[in-house]
Amino acid sequence: MTVTKIKINRNPIKQILKDKFAFVSLIVLFGLYISVVFANFFAVYPENFSDRNMSYAPPSKIYVITPEGKFSKPYTYNYKRTFNPETFSNDYKTDRSQRYYIKFFAKGFEYKFLGLIKTNRHLIGLDNEKGRLYLLGADINGRDNFSRLLFGGQISLTIGFLALFISFPIGLLYGGISGYVGGITDNVMMRFAEAIMSIPSFYLLIILAALLPANMTSTQRFTLIIVILAFIGWAGFARVVRGMVLSIKNLEFIESAKSIGASSFRIITKHILPQTASYVLVAITLSVPGFILGESGLSFLGLGIQQPDASWGNMLKEAQEYTNILYRPWLLTPGYLIFVTILSFNLIGDTIRDVLDPKSYGR
Amino acid sequence: MTKKVIYILLILGFFVFAATSCLHKDIPEVEINSNLTQNFVQEHISHAKGKYELIEINGIEYFRSRGNTGKYGGTLSNSTIGEGPKTFNIWNSKDNTSSSLAGIMFEGMFTSDPHTGEVIPKLAKKVEIDSTGKKYTITLRKGLKWSDGKEITADDVEFTYNTIIKQGYGDTSTRDVMTVDGQMPECVKLDKYTIRFTTPKPFAPFLRMLGFAIAPKHIMKSVTDKGKEEFNRFWGVTTNPKEIVTNGAFKLKEYVPAQRVIFERNPNYSMVDSKNNVLPYLDKYVVYIVGDLNNQVLKFEAGELDILPVRGNQVARFKSLEKNSDYKMYNLGAGDGTTFVSFNLNRRQNEKGKYYVNPIKQKWFNDDNFRKAVDYAIDRDFIVANILNGVGMPLYTAEGLSSIFLNENLAKGHPKDINFARKLLEESGFYTDEKGILHDKEGNIVEFTLMTNAGNIERESIGVMIKEDLAELGMKVNFKPIEFNVLVGKLTGSLDWDAIIMGLTGSSLEPNNGANVWYSYGSLHMFNLRQGKDATNKVDLRIWEKKLDELFAKGATILDFSERKKIYDEYQQIVYDNRPFIYLYTPLNIYAVRTKFKNLDPTSLGGVLHNLEEIYIE
Amino acid sequence: MSVLVYIIKRILNAIPILFIVSLISFFIIRLSPIDPLSELKLNPAISPQTLEAEKIRLGLDLPLYKQYLRWGGNFLKGDLGVSTSGELVADRLKERIPNTLLLTGITIILTWLVGIPLGIYAALNWRKPADRIITVFTSIGMAVPSFFYALLLLVLAVKTGWFPIGGLTSFNFSQMNLFHKIFDIIHHLFLPVLVLFTLSLAGLQRQMRGNLLDVLESDYIKLARAKGLSENKVIYKHAVRNAINPMVTLIGFEFAGLLSGAALTEYVFQYPGLGRLVLEAVMKSDINLVMASLMIGSIMLVIGNLIADILLKIVDPRVTME
Repeated sequence: MTVTKIKINRNPIKQILKDKFAFVSLIVLFGLYISVVFANFFAVYPENFSDRNMSYAPPSKIYVITPEGKFSKPYTYNYKRTFNPETFSNDYKTDRSQRYYIKFFAKGFEYKFLGLIKTNRHLIGLDNEKGRLYLLGADINGRDNFSRLLFGGQISLTIGFLALFISFPIGLLYGGISGYVGGITDNVMMRFAEAIMSIPSFYLLIILAALLPANMTSTQRFTLIIVILAFIGWAGFARVVRGMVLSIKNLEFIESAKSIGASSFRIITKHILPQTASYVLVAITLSVPGFILGESGLSFLGLGIQQPDASWGNMLKEAQEYTNILYRPWLLTPGYLIFVTILSFNLIGDTIRDVLDPKSYGR
Repeated sequence: MTKKVIYILLILGFFVFAATSCLHKDIPEVEINSNLTQNFVQEHISHAKGKYELIEINGIEYFRSRGNTGKYGGTLSNSTIGEGPKTFNIWNSKDNTSSSLAGIMFEGMFTSDPHTGEVIPKLAKKVEIDSTGKKYTITLRKGLKWSDGKEITADDVEFTYNTIIKQGYGDTSTRDVMTVDGQMPECVKLDKYTIRFTTPKPFAPFLRMLGFAIAPKHIMKSVTDKGKEEFNRFWGVTTNPKEIVTNGAFKLKEYVPAQRVIFERNPNYSMVDSKNNVLPYLDKYVVYIVGDLNNQVLKFEAGELDILPVRGNQVARFKSLEKNSDYKMYNLGAGDGTTFVSFNLNRRQNEKGKYYVNPIKQKWFNDDNFRKAVDYAIDRDFIVANILNGVGMPLYTAEGLSSIFLNENLAKGHPKDINFARKLLEESGFYTDEKGILHDKEGNIVEFTLMTNAGNIERESIGVMIKEDLAELGMKVNFKPIEFNVLVGKLTGSLDWDAIIMGLTGSSLEPNNGANVWYSYGSLHMFNLRQGKDATNKVDLRIWEKKLDELFAKGATILDFSERKKIYDEYQQIVYDNRPFIYLYTPLNIYAVRTKFKNLDPTSLGGVLHNLEEIYIE
Repeated sequence: MSVLVYIIKRILNAIPILFIVSLISFFIIRLSPIDPLSELKLNPAISPQTLEAEKIRLGLDLPLYKQYLRWGGNFLKGDLGVSTSGELVADRLKERIPNTLLLTGITIILTWLVGIPLGIYAALNWRKPADRIITVFTSIGMAVPSFFYALLLLVLAVKTGWFPIGGLTSFNFSQMNLFHKIFDIIHHLFLPVLVLFTLSLAGLQRQMRGNLLDVLESDYIKLARAKGLSENKVIYKHAVRNAINPMVTLIGFEFAGLLSGAALTEYVFQYPGLGRLVLEAVMKSDINLVMASLMIGSIMLVIGNLIADILLKIVDPRVTME
């Protein structure tokens, strides 16, 4: 058996474009991020718009062929809710008394495009503001699921990266220094990191999240959750880096670098840490999704981002009730989005790993 | 090249698929006439049955079952939500789960009639109350036995009241509620089967309190002698089930932590059926410990549970499946729980001289018109329709809709009336500016924080709805769900809150159980909680708070039901008029029970399993 | 001999860790605004006197450092204290820890049995379809939020009736014979193990794949090949062995993750494990219970790391034991 040598593009971007899975993932992620950056534009309703008559309304049906069999501009009907006191069921019937035509670049709620330009145009909307366009149904408060997914994504898609930016540099440097310097420093540094790690992470997460004071704005809460996620993430990472540094520093080329009198910092940053690249890359790919999952887990326990702010985690929490899973599948969309996002990150990460790993050069 | 074509085709195919699944042909649906005619409006399955018949067999005075004659055998599986029992020592249980689980094993001298709520004998056979209303002479049934075969006598009763309760073993809350004017009622054994209680003054709730479980003196005497620490550990969850001696229909067989509690028949139980067979019929009664509602429903659907409290939008599902299923649903009517909005009416300062509530907000919250306007702006029907999926009723009264003391005149309440609410605010000098924002007389923007416990989807959704309702009046409500424990800390400790959505469990039978909420010094007087030196300083009591103090003090001393009811009617009227709590809704109690169980006699007050000993499997 | 000295050294090292852990967690929990008595306070039947007595029993009236000293002293004596509801903490832990060890132990063994070979296979078929497919599939398993995945499986179990809904044993477990008992437990464990297994497989598989690829490119493998050793020998005798070494450190982590990683899964499946217990305890700020679990968790980690390091020493003589 031989390890086949397949030509691989050294430019990660080109390689991603070449790799089918990675390419599709990239498109998906790109689409998701574009959607949340321009959430206001894509959204039909503001984040907290609710029509209480439409609690748990199913997705609006869009028609292009009229009952007479003619083609038409796409239009939809409103739902009318009736409660049956005998069966305790809420039934939604289409109210065919008025058609609402779907318009592109329609007028809707006012917002600032990219935070700068005041406008009220949205990608789609209805011609009459009495109409309700629920592309993905409504939640218990009659809020538009589709719009909330977009606004919730703003939180869920950024939380992982932000936490990463805090935890990784700390962990990398901490582990590098500790492993290289060794001796008492290593001992003290590792004892501290291990102490943080030894507190089972998920419980630490819960305890810290439960600590957050009640009277915080949603931005503050968001920031602090990121800090907490990062605080828990760095130590484990540092320890692995340190372990790898330990086995690398005995290798000959480090000895030779020492013998020519390179400074410790230089040896750590130039010679040792790059050797850990493979692990670091895998760890990063695994971390961003990990943080996203962390937030959803917190939300599941009611400790994450709080209502009425949306995040995919707290939207999914609402969906987890048995009858919702059975009868209101549109509420499960945040779950699918989390799934797709994480999968895409992982697939892209794999590809990047194969490209950037210095040892795969010349393969 | 061909590859590219394939990709393009695939992508095109995807879009066509997406488009076809989104775009529809408009075909009007045909109206389907539902033939569901069965009535599911509250059904009281049975009617009051009066007292049990007393019969003597071999020197034992049994009560005779009023149900059909059944047969022995089988298991009934129920469930409890939460962490499971903390102890099987019912005299030491401080939480609901432990109390209700241990309650299956232990009985008291009296119980409440599940149909009428009247106090009826259980281990006792009769009670005589003298004309002063202070002396209760109680006769026990003769020959009743503990599960280990020892006889139940007046000694056990005397021990339970004079040692366990009076000396404060275990949970002292029973002593607290029994205490009248700082004194525990006196308990004297007259002979082997007779006991006399004397209360310091007439105390209406007292007879019902005699339903408290009786402890086996022959087992527990040695424990109480060793002191309270020993008693607290006694019959804990790690005890060998065989050591637990009971007088109820069941005794403990096995406890598997975090999974289930299994009870088995107590062969010495004190009831027989029409053929003189000793009850209960069931071999086993299993209570599964489930973590949340979701799991409970799943377990019922999978057939692991035989009985399920059905909530909110699940009712529609179970109702629609009922016809072709092996269960039947029972609507027991409104429960005794209440959910309400409350404003912090506290006008005092803390030790540092800082007001608990911002003085500007204080003025609004203490303005009767303000609270009334809020009341009228809230759309309860919508809350019931959306949050409970119609499985509930709007609530306006301090006593729940199932309470036997309910003030019927108030129960109907009033519909939402936003114009009336606006008028009320105007009267108090509030005005809205051109942007529709509400200002008070001094021009301050009306803005406050509404809190509730996070993680409770119902309350979180109510919060969102109320926020919108009040936005119609121009009020700016910052709705903030926070962690339950933190919220309680604010309610009972720091007192720095504006408004909350909370719930309390009430009692359908005894309004005095809620006295802690209404007494101005009560520990749950949360709308104006008094701590430390404030508790005795009554200077800033409102007139109606004083009146409530009087009514509750008086209500507890009157034994006659209709006289008592007048007093509690008045208290409900006062709460209704002054709105310290703005009540929102009460859910309906709906249960699904497997049809194989017979002798079911669900009642609004007693629930489904009040006659567990009579239930059998066909 | 040197191994023994090393072990003793490591144990001595562990003491400060445990001290820091206890300090951090104690103060974090105590500084939180959560009131352990809040449930009692909302109970209309509980009098202020009872509350006061409870406060004294739990030592909540003492200053913080005294509370810590009191707790620490008892802990050293082996007394884990009582929970807020009055039970012995040790009892509660005793009934839960074996269940959690069972669940996660099985999961880890399965993950290693499947993940390592998959990782090797993927590395040897680097960038071939097999590699891609394995990676994509393990990634899919990792991408679902665990609680959501668990819920969907529960719904499946209800619909098909193939699996029990949560728990660890059936209600008539105590009457079963040994064979049925084992079957009953496996029946109950299947779904939770499946969830944990799919979630942790991807990480292990990737790690192994990455390590092996690294090793295959290293000079000594090239040298071995140049020497003319058979490819099988090069890969399985040298490359795989060296690639597994760093994986050994992972055992330490997984061992510790045993106690906490499964919390959400345990919660959804109503599994009577430590995770669910601690989750509930944290929410109620049941300090003795939480502290004891955290300390047990930390001790597990210390032991796990120790075992991992000794194993590493055995498989990889290049690592020196300082």
